[in-house]
Amino acid sequence: MPELATSARIIPALSIEELTYSYPHGERGALRDVSLQLGAGELVLLAGRSASGKSTLLRAACGLVPHFHGGHIEGSVQVAGVDALATGPGELAAAVGYLAQDPETQVISTTVAAEVELPLELRGDAPASRARAVEEVALALAIPHLLSRTVDTLSGGELQRVALAAALVTRPQLVLLDEPTSQLDPVAGDELTWLLRRLNEEWGVTILLAEHRLERCLAAADRVIAMDSGAISFDGAPRDFLAWAQDADSALETPAARLFSLAGIDPLPIGVRDARQILASVGWRGAGSPPNGLYFFGRSSHGRPPSPSEKVEFGGDPAPLSHPPTAAKTRDLWIELSTGDEARDVLRGIDLQVERGERVALMGRNGAGKSTLLRAVAGLVEPVRGKIEALNGIALLTQNPGDYLVRERVGDELPGADGMAALRMVGLEHAVDSDPRDLSGGERQRLALAITLAGRMEGGELPGLVALDEPTRGMDRAHKTRLAELVGGLASQGAGVVIATHDVEFAAVFAERVVLLGDGVVIADGPATEILSGGWYFATEVARVLDLPGVITPEQGAAVLLEEERG
Amino acid sequence: MRSPFAYTSRPGPLQAASPGAAVTYLGSLVVVSFLYSNPLVLGTAGAAAILAGLLAGAGRAVRAALWMGLTLALLIVAVNALVVDRGETVLARLGEWPLLGQVAVTAEAVAAGAVLGLRAAVVLVVFAVYSACVDPDRVLRSLRPLAGRSALTATLVSRLVPLAAADGARLRDAARLRGPAAAPVGRAPLARRLLAGSLDRAVDVAATLELRGYALDTPRAPRARARSRYDRRFYVVGAGILAAGIAGKLSGADAFDFYPAIEIGAGPATLAVALVVLLAGFAPLSSRLATYPRYMRGKSPSSTVARPLERTHA
Repeated sequence: MPELATSARIIPALSIEELTYSYPHGERGALRDVSLQLGAGELVLLAGRSASGKSTLLRAACGLVPHFHGGHIEGSVQVAGVDALATGPGELAAAVGYLAQDPETQVISTTVAAEVELPLELRGDAPASRARAVEEVALALAIPHLLSRTVDTLSGGELQRVALAAALVTRPQLVLLDEPTSQLDPVAGDELTWLLRRLNEEWGVTILLAEHRLERCLAAADRVIAMDSGAISFDGAPRDFLAWAQDADSALETPAARLFSLAGIDPLPIGVRDARQILASVGWRGAGSPPNGLYFFGRSSHGRPPSPSEKVEFGGDPAPLSHPPTAAKTRDLWIELSTGDEARDVLRGIDLQVERGERVALMGRNGAGKSTLLRAVAGLVEPVRGKIEALNGIALLTQNPGDYLVRERVGDELPGADGMAALRMVGLEHAVDSDPRDLSGGERQRLALAITLAGRMEGGELPGLVALDEPTRGMDRAHKTRLAELVGGLASQGAGVVIATHDVEFAAVFAERVVLLGDGVVIADGPATEILSGGWYFATEVARVLDLPGVITPEQGAAVLLEEERG
Repeated sequence: MRSPFAYTSRPGPLQAASPGAAVTYLGSLVVVSFLYSNPLVLGTAGAAAILAGLLAGAGRAVRAALWMGLTLALLIVAVNALVVDRGETVLARLGEWPLLGQVAVTAEAVAAGAVLGLRAAVVLVVFAVYSACVDPDRVLRSLRPLAGRSALTATLVSRLVPLAAADGARLRDAARLRGPAAAPVGRAPLARRLLAGSLDRAVDVAATLELRGYALDTPRAPRARARSRYDRRFYVVGAGILAAGIAGKLSGADAFDFYPAIEIGAGPATLAVALVVLLAGFAPLSSRLATYPRYMRGKSPSSTVARPLERTHA
C-alpha cells in the first residue's frame, strides 16, 4: 500500500511532451512543440486569444485528438500514467472528464438522472455503486432537485452543471473545461468557478480550465498557462502571469491588473480581495471615499485618457438625423411564453425607450427576458399586452451569426448596390468573393450584421435600432474591442444600439446606459457608470475593487488613485 | 417551446411504472383498437386512452393528439366517402370526377371512414400518452442489451431530433430577420443549412458518446431492475384488456357491418368489452390521491402526492 500511495502521488495527472499536432487539411499546426505537466490537485487556468490552441490542447488531453478528429500528431500525452495516444477517449473516460463550451451537445439522455448515470453504466459499474455515485455528484454540484427533470427543461446554467456532473461522476483525476462560463450570466459563472475550486480542494481533482474572462477565475487558479499560435508562451503563477501579460499581451490583462498598472501600483492583483489588500497596504483611504468628490456619472466619463490598446473609438459626433430621435419604445409590454406544460410571463409590463445614437447594454441573469425583449421588438414574438414601436425599423442579430449564412459566397448573400453598402458599413467589402466559412468568427458576425442591415439603410441612414443578442460569447478581448468600435460607429451614425450581454466588462467599454432586467421586469435603468458600479454581480472588477460610485473602468479607477496620490 | 409529446417527468403511477408494464397497458389499448371495428368498443378505447392521459398529467399531449387525430379522421372520412361507392343509403351524388368517375357519397362509406378515422385517432392518443409519460431513457436502457446498435441509433435520434427542431426554428427566425436587400432564403438553402448544422451537431454528440465510453467493449453493467409498486397493476390491467378483447372478439362482440347497410351490434358481449376497456382508463389513477382527504387535494403535486417509490434490485 505505501508504494501504491507514493506512486499515485508522483504520477502527474497530465504529462505532455513535445506535442505537435495539425488537423486534417490544416494548413498550419494547431499545436507546436507543447510540453507541460499538471500535478495532482492543481487548478490550472489556460489563457490565450481565440484560435491560440487552447481547445485543441484540451481535446488532446482527453483523447479526442487524434482519435476522433484525426490529423497528424507527434509527441506524447499521458493522462494519469495512461498513454492517451495509444488508447481512445473511451478508455480515458475513467481518468479524465471533459466539458466543452456548448452544453446542448454534451447531454445525450432525456432525463438528468440517466445522463449522470450513463458513464458508470457503460463502464460496467454495479447498480448500487452507480446509485451512490450519482447521489454524491448531485450533492456536490447542488443538483439533486434536477435529477428527475428532463434535460430540455433546464436553463443553460443548469445544463452546464448536469454536463459537469456527467464528466465528474466517474471521479476522474483530471477535469478539462473549455470556456464553461461563456454562456452563463455573472452569477452562474462565479458560482461555477467557485464550485470548481471546491471540488479541486475537497476531491483533489486536477482542473485545467480554458477561459477568456480571466478576471472570473484567476483568483481561484494555482497556475496559469498561456498559449499563442499553438505554443505555450507562459507557464507560471497567476501573479507572474499578470506581470508577463502587461508586457507581452495586454489583451490578457485583467481589469484589476490594468487598473494597478495604469496607477503604477505593484504587485499586480490576482483578484478583488487581493487588490483591496494591496491598496490597503499602500495606504489608500479605502472604498466609498473618492478624493475631491471625483465621480464618473453621466454619458461620458473620462479620467485619465485610455491607452491606445484600450481606447475604443465611437466615430465622433452623431450624424444629423432626418427621422424622429426615438428609435424604439415599449409601453406596458407583457410577453407570455409556453415552457412545457405551463405558460409563463417572461416580460411583465416593460416600459422602455431607446433614442437614436444611444448605446444601451441590456443585462440580467439567464432567463431574465433579455432575448425575449429583443425578439419582441423585432416582431418575432407577439405580446399578450402592451405596445411596441420600432419607429425607424430594427435590425436584430441573434445569438448565432451562423444562422444567417446559408450561401457559399459573401456576394451571394448580399447582392446589388444595397448589399455592397451593407458590406461597406461593416468593413467587409473586400470579402465579397469569399466563402463565409473561410471568414474568422468576428468577420462572420459582421457579415451576419450586414445581412440584417441590407436594404434597411434609407439614403445611407441606418435603421432606428440595431440590436445584438449576446455577441461576445467565446470572444477574446481584442475581438470585443473591435466589436465595440463597430457598433459604436453605428451609434455615431444615428442608430440606437442595444446589446444584450452578460459581459459586464464589455458593457463598461461599450455602453453609456445599462438596463438591468430581473424576472421580466426592469429593475435598474441608468448610466452605465452608475449601474455597473452599484452592485456585486453586475459590477465590473474595478468597481468591485474600488467600490466608488461611477468608477467602472481601469482608466477611471487609475485616475482616482492617481488623484489621491497627488492629493 | 417544448413539443407537447415530449416526455415530462411527473409523479404518477404510469410514469413510475417500468417500460414493460407501461407498454403492456398502453399496447393492449392499441391491440383492441385494431381488433375491433365496432364503434362502441373503439370509442371506449379512445375514451380510456384520453382518461389515462389526463390522469397521468399528459393533458397537453392528449389535446394535441386529439386535434391531430380528429383532423386525420376527417380526412379519412372524406377520402373514403369519395373513393368507396358501396352502400345503400346515398347521401349525395357529386357527378363525374376526374380519375374517380361517378361519385356518390353513401352513409355506409362515411361510417366506414369514420371507423377507420376513429381507430387512427385512438392509436395517436395512445402513442401521445406513451411519448409523454414513458421515460425514453428507461426504454432505451432495457433495449441496449438486446440490440446495442439499434439502441445507439435510437439514442442519437432521440437527442438530435429535438436539437434539429430547435435549430430549424432558429434558422427560420434568422431568415425573417434578414434585411430586405439580402438574398431571400428559400426552403432549399434553409434545408441544406439545417442538414449541415445537424451533421455538425451529430459529430459533437458522437464525441460526447465517445467520451462517455459508449464505444468501450467492456461487459455492460447489470441492469438495475427499477420496478415500481404499480407494475403489477398495469400488467394485470393490460392482460385483462387483452383477454376481454380476444374473448369478446371470439364471442361476436365486434358485431358491426358497414355494407350494404350499417348494423351496429350492441349486445351484452359488446357492452361488457366496452365496459372493461373503459374502466381500464382509470389504471393510472394514483391510489394516494384517491384516498387523500378533500382538503389536501389541489395542492402542489410535490407536497400532496408522494413520489412513487421505486425499488432497485441488483
